[in-house]
Amino acid sequence: MTAGTANVIETRNLTRRYRDQLALDNVDLDIAGGRIYGLLGRNGAGKTTLMSILTAQGFESSGEVRVFGEHPFENDRVLRRLCFVRESQKYPDDFTAANAFASAGLLYPNWDAGFAASLAEEFSIPVKRRLKKLSRGQLSAVGVVLGLASRADITFFDEPYLGLDAVARQIFYDRLVEDFAEHPRTIMLSSHLIDEVALLLEHVIVIDSGRIVLNDDAENIRGSAVTITGTADVVEAFIAGYPVLHREALGSLVSATVEQRLDDAGRREAAELGLQLTPVSLQQLIVRKTLQADGAEKPSGTAATDSLEAFR
Amino acid sequence: MNRAVAVARIQLTNKWIYLWIPLIILASSTLISLAIFAMIPGDASNIISGSGQAVMWYFFALGIQSMTLLFPFSQALSVSRRAFYIGTIGLFSLVALALAVLYWVLGLVEQATDGWGMKGAIFAIPWIAEGAWYTQILFYFAVTILLFLLGFWSSTIYKRWRTVGLTAALVGAGAVLLGIVALITWREAWASVGAWIVELTPLSLAGWVLATGALLALTSYATLRRAVP
Repeated sequence: MTAGTANVIETRNLTRRYRDQLALDNVDLDIAGGRIYGLLGRNGAGKTTLMSILTAQGFESSGEVRVFGEHPFENDRVLRRLCFVRESQKYPDDFTAANAFASAGLLYPNWDAGFAASLAEEFSIPVKRRLKKLSRGQLSAVGVVLGLASRADITFFDEPYLGLDAVARQIFYDRLVEDFAEHPRTIMLSSHLIDEVALLLEHVIVIDSGRIVLNDDAENIRGSAVTITGTADVVEAFIAGYPVLHREALGSLVSATVEQRLDDAGRREAAELGLQLTPVSLQQLIVRKTLQADGAEKPSGTAATDSLEAFR
Repeated sequence: MNRAVAVARIQLTNKWIYLWIPLIILASSTLISLAIFAMIPGDASNIISGSGQAVMWYFFALGIQSMTLLFPFSQALSVSRRAFYIGTIGLFSLVALALAVLYWVLGLVEQATDGWGMKGAIFAIPWIAEGAWYTQILFYFAVTILLFLLGFWSSTIYKRWRTVGLTAALVGAGAVLLGIVALITWREAWASVGAWIVELTPLSLAGWVLATGALLALTSYATLRRAVP
């Protein structure tokens, strides 16, 4: 890998080993930047570990990490352009939200105090109250304000919505999109509420058991799979040769999700055969891909082999 | 460097931590001591109160919190471990110096008022107060910073290796001390140790305390380099 390429983040064979488990397993990632990325995956999949290493809060066991072309560890040039507020972020005792925002103003070159104040008001954060007295949701909101108002070149949000109610989550999504439009930067949003953030995301990275199982533009992913429902033999004939992600049978009806982009001819054919086509949501697709990668779900017969073949 | 200064300034955004709480502890522990002096019957002279330590133990707690709470927060603000260390130890050294000067001044007041009119000693502790002004300041500075660094050092080990590591470090330190005691006994050197202690001056004791503090400061930094929030 060469330094100084256009990618803001590059990793090669990035591995993080804890005593008895691989938290990250040979992760290769190239992130071009300037967009909103979704880092999706189950709890414990390695999302926080990855973001920790990219911001030098954690350490890799082996492999290479480059952020803005350099390793971020003890590197103020790189660090000052990053912001990563943890999901269970700790603050100094007796600190108030106002103290935390003032501190951020001292360290983030692009900090916007006015923006922070208006966000705090929208989230109804009691800025003069000590942080240890705040509710889980209010504390999450403080992290969200730090992340948004820092306007860091790469901002990581780690499950930022924990404890936030639906209204607060919507405020977060709206402000994120608005502010991103005015101040384009790289945003990485880790989440397991996939459908809720799906519309924000321009690029999706799915991580499972420390491995990247999906890394593509959200646009490409959205149409990449389809669910076909109909009588068993008709469906089976139609999907022959397609990689099957999932299959459900109910009596003589079969509903199969295939990872296949259907062209107009394919759609017409399906309609003539009386098959019903339903789009697959990002969340469903990711669940299917994750289960498949885990090997937790074992589709029956040749389809299983097919789908695994296709997956490789 | 200015990020280290920013780390120091972060800790001053909340006036309670370094200003009001220490002053409250100092004022209340002093008042309690004075009340006790007043209640002691008769004309006893030179009653020494240990209440001057109270603030220093608060700084021991702050040393712990610097690592367990401020360090994770500084990481969220994308501060390097080096800048966090310099900013925190630097700020604390200034605070310890200010406290030492305050103790010296209060000691002067104490001596001028004949022990607050009650022949009590809180700040001008006899053996130390006999030294020069800079010896007294250095001594209070050294003790305060040692307590802070003890807290900082132990929680740095905790942050890096958790409970197992801290337990091992404390047991190890205990074993080393025990080994020294055993060595002195074996070499039948207690007499010379006694002589060494008798020969200690406030200045040389402050020097030893500072050296211990420096050792803790250096090992803390080495440990902190690989600590995670």
